[in-house]
Amino acid sequence: MARALAVPFPRWSAQPAASGWAAATLAAAAALPWSRAGRDLGTWLGDSTGLRMAQDSPLAVVVLVLGAVALLASLWPGPERARGTVLSAAGAGGFLASCVLVALRGTPLGPGAVAALLGFLTVAGLGFSLSGRWFVDPSLSAAVLWMGTFVTVFILLPLASVVVASVWVQGRFTTEVLWRTLTSSAFLALDHPGTPDPEPVWALAAGLGAGVVAGLVSWARGRGASAVRHGAAVGLGAAGLAALYLGFGAFRNSVLLAVVVGGVSTALGFLFALLSERSQLPTRRLMGPLSVLPLITPPFVLGIAMLYLFGRRGFVTYRLLGLSTDVFFGPLGVAIAQVLAYTPIAYLVLVGVVRAMDASLEEAAQTLGAPPAYLLRTVTWPLARPGLANAFLLVAIESLADFANPIVVGGGKPFLATEVFFAIVGRYNPHEAATYGVVLLALTLTVFTLQQRWVGGVSYVTVTGRPTGARPQPLPRWLDWTASGVFVLWMLVVVLLYGSVFVGAVTRLWGFDYTFTLRHLQDLHPQGWHVLRTTVRLSAYAAVPSVVVGFLIGYLVNRVAFPGRRVLEFSSMLSFATPGTVMGIGYVLAFNQGPLLLTGTELVIVLAFVFRNMPVAIRAAVAALEQIDRSLEEASTVLRAGATTTLLRVVAPLSRSALLSGLVFSFVRAMTAVSQVIFLITPQHNLATTQILSYLEYGSQGRGAALASVLTLLLVAVVLGLQALHRRLDPRAAQLAVG
Amino acid sequence: MAEGVPVRLEGITKRFGAVVAVDRVDLEVPPGHLVTLLGPSGCGKTTTLRIVAGLERPTAGRVWIAGEDVTDLPAARRGVTMVFQSYALFPHLTVFENVAYGLRVQRLPAAEVRRRTLEALELVGLPETAGRYPAQLSGGQQQRVALARALVMQPRVLLFDEPLSNLDAKLRRRVRAEIRMLQRRLGITSLYVTHDQSEALALSDVVVVMNQGRVEQVGAPEEVYRRPQTRFVADFIGEANLLPAEYRDGAVEVAGYRFPFVQEDVREGPVTLMVRPEAVVLAQDGAGLAGVVRSAFFMGMTTEYLLETPAGEVLATRPYRSDWRLAPGQEVRLRFEEAAVYLLPADAAAERSG
Repeated sequence: MARALAVPFPRWSAQPAASGWAAATLAAAAALPWSRAGRDLGTWLGDSTGLRMAQDSPLAVVVLVLGAVALLASLWPGPERARGTVLSAAGAGGFLASCVLVALRGTPLGPGAVAALLGFLTVAGLGFSLSGRWFVDPSLSAAVLWMGTFVTVFILLPLASVVVASVWVQGRFTTEVLWRTLTSSAFLALDHPGTPDPEPVWALAAGLGAGVVAGLVSWARGRGASAVRHGAAVGLGAAGLAALYLGFGAFRNSVLLAVVVGGVSTALGFLFALLSERSQLPTRRLMGPLSVLPLITPPFVLGIAMLYLFGRRGFVTYRLLGLSTDVFFGPLGVAIAQVLAYTPIAYLVLVGVVRAMDASLEEAAQTLGAPPAYLLRTVTWPLARPGLANAFLLVAIESLADFANPIVVGGGKPFLATEVFFAIVGRYNPHEAATYGVVLLALTLTVFTLQQRWVGGVSYVTVTGRPTGARPQPLPRWLDWTASGVFVLWMLVVVLLYGSVFVGAVTRLWGFDYTFTLRHLQDLHPQGWHVLRTTVRLSAYAAVPSVVVGFLIGYLVNRVAFPGRRVLEFSSMLSFATPGTVMGIGYVLAFNQGPLLLTGTELVIVLAFVFRNMPVAIRAAVAALEQIDRSLEEASTVLRAGATTTLLRVVAPLSRSALLSGLVFSFVRAMTAVSQVIFLITPQHNLATTQILSYLEYGSQGRGAALASVLTLLLVAVVLGLQALHRRLDPRAAQLAVG
Repeated sequence: MAEGVPVRLEGITKRFGAVVAVDRVDLEVPPGHLVTLLGPSGCGKTTTLRIVAGLERPTAGRVWIAGEDVTDLPAARRGVTMVFQSYALFPHLTVFENVAYGLRVQRLPAAEVRRRTLEALELVGLPETAGRYPAQLSGGQQQRVALARALVMQPRVLLFDEPLSNLDAKLRRRVRAEIRMLQRRLGITSLYVTHDQSEALALSDVVVVMNQGRVEQVGAPEEVYRRPQTRFVADFIGEANLLPAEYRDGAVEVAGYRFPFVQEDVREGPVTLMVRPEAVVLAQDGAGLAGVVRSAFFMGMTTEYLLETPAGEVLATRPYRSDWRLAPGQEVRLRFEEAAVYLLPADAAAERSG
């Protein structure tokens, strides 16, 4: 019969992990150099080892002593709780002391410093768990601390740097730059100085008119008291929109664009979602590729295509219509490009909503005598409303953060996301850039919070009882045909646009000379291919950590109760709500000097990728975890498996599908990233996306199109590969894998 | 209040691709009756109900309501309302608006809508919930709101799609009684679908037992229970012991035990003897089928015995008696209460009976 572990000798054998980590921390802190010579990650200052520093700095002594204390505590055969408390104190103390030491020295971090910091953190985590203070498995509590540190350093710190930089100019706190930027007409001008008419007054008038009409309509429909509220809300909204429409400036452009593009994309996305789920025509089969489109589209592709088709010498405008016009350069062109880019996103969200709508509600309405149009208005539409609001807000965030389209098709007009870029790169004013960044961040965070609070939780989908096997009602014929027509038109435009990029890659000079040539592809050698290889390499480097970190955070936030759980969750999703350019200058501001000097290295690009794509992995992980019954993990725990074992042998294999998707999505997102990394590239470390922009800026449109085409084909291959792999691994989940 | 109308189904067939969900079903529902379609999952009862509702179109066959051929009429125009299994209450409307929905479709004057809606809510005992939303009600309350919504339309026919299956057992009993009471009082012709045979027996005027798309038997609850026409019906409704036996000269012989019994509609020769567990009488000795107790389960009101006999396994349910209990391994004699014995043909294969 097996004996329980009631052995009378010291229980240190049960805690090898703590000893191992403590020993490793002490050794690394003592023997490895704490500083680097400069930017280069490989050159270290030999005289900055812990032992050496201890000769001059009492703080270094403290660090080493705490490391020793930790080691001894882990070996000491005392009661577990006391041991744990000492460990956690030594670990926390060591971590803090190391932080201070590093800050005081101010030199870029070397391997010794990193090892010491992470080592002490782990020891502290293990200590917290052993002491019973945290009712969490030891390895998980260490993981919590690691994740918390990473999120703080690589998400919160950059954002804080941006905010600080907007008000901390040359060593003093001042709102001067902030004020100057916000009141400049490049930011927002409501009254055009050139025209005699008072635009703001018109806007107010329009708002008043709309508000009164809305209030009257509401009152006429018997809503009484809330008529005033309705009128006020509509009036305010109308006044705001009118003011924006008549105004100028980056703020006006970005916000108006977000509202318009959000509305149009949501409407189209809803139409297509209805079509996909309820159409009786064969066109619905073509909808599959629609959902994959945003994934495989590198930035600038739509911009190039718009240029090719609707530019000064565009195929449609010049060749076909004989116009030589700039009208598509500016907010209008950007709007068109964004609608094309973001409708698939709205579609993906709304397909889920339409699919989940309880068909028996519509059947009930039928049995109560409702004709199809009445049914659509009184049942289908209200049920879809929260989902529509959700889609609208998501598209609005994407539109606000969009960098690639305004740069190419914006015609030089200011947009918030691009002004961040131009303020630094063109005007060398990081504080002005930070101000734009803060405004943009405030906008996206507001929208994001709205989305999470207001819509994220509300679901009208199934509230009563259990869903039945009722079949959804097909669309009324006129709607079916019209919507299918719109969709076919849409597909044609999309094909035309993408086609033009591919064609442009092999034509000599678009707009002038359409002869076939392979010269652009040849000209990609060597620069273009080198850049592509770098991009693939760095994206691959980033994909695995992205998924691991994301999965770990997803697991911790979903399954483990620890103090600060909500904070970790929110901070992780923050990088989803943060526009790329804002995060980009955040990284530049935070990692351009001091111990955390990282700019100019490949590592910083990889880190940017990892933390940019983490929310995708987190979402995939949470979705996968929700499918796994907790009792499986509980069974594993009852069988004496530690958290790491449970994770690796139970949870991970069951989430295989989601992990694979996460891996591929992270890779693809990294390949198509531009706004965040545009500040981090150097001549040695350039990426394909920014290279395309360079080609465009220097007038080599053909080369730009060629590189974009190659990139697109590569991404198509990767995504198709994923789908094939999915079908092999898990045929059921393959349906849901894409998007 | 609506007057009952007759409903007739003729040759209703429904195919989904290669699957025949409903196979040539004929049915007559007399006015004001509550007829239950009873059967296991997949037997076609829900599909038949939905065909009557107009939510499915039959592949073949016609539906008549009050003598009118409604087969080609859409659901919205049939004057038929339904209480759904999931209640299907509109989550974005209040209870009042839910019940008033159908009345508003007809654009009735507001005062009349208000009057009839409140009346319907009174009928189901929930007038105070009018301002609340469905999510704020309990399952039983939601169900009653669904019923009110169906009744307020004064339908010609009322349909029920397993309305009680989402309620817990105690609630089920109560709501079941309320439904029956209301239906009787209002006299609306009703078609009810369930897989719970005790529910069917308790509620219905007529029970239609269905299996694999076909009607096995139609009859009053007692009839279907005591005189099942096929093995399937015997087995599905309650528990049934089915033993091979011989019927000859006014007596039944099963494994050597012979007892007098006369049944007109069966021929002499091999038969299947059906005996309900509660009709098996156990004695220490004397005349009867020899048996050995295999297991005894105390169920509170009754004790369930599983007995091994030469004719096969027999389930007997005896009322609890503290003074006389049988233990496993004990030998007993089985006798059958004549009133609860029924003979089926020997093969007792599924037969179509109308």
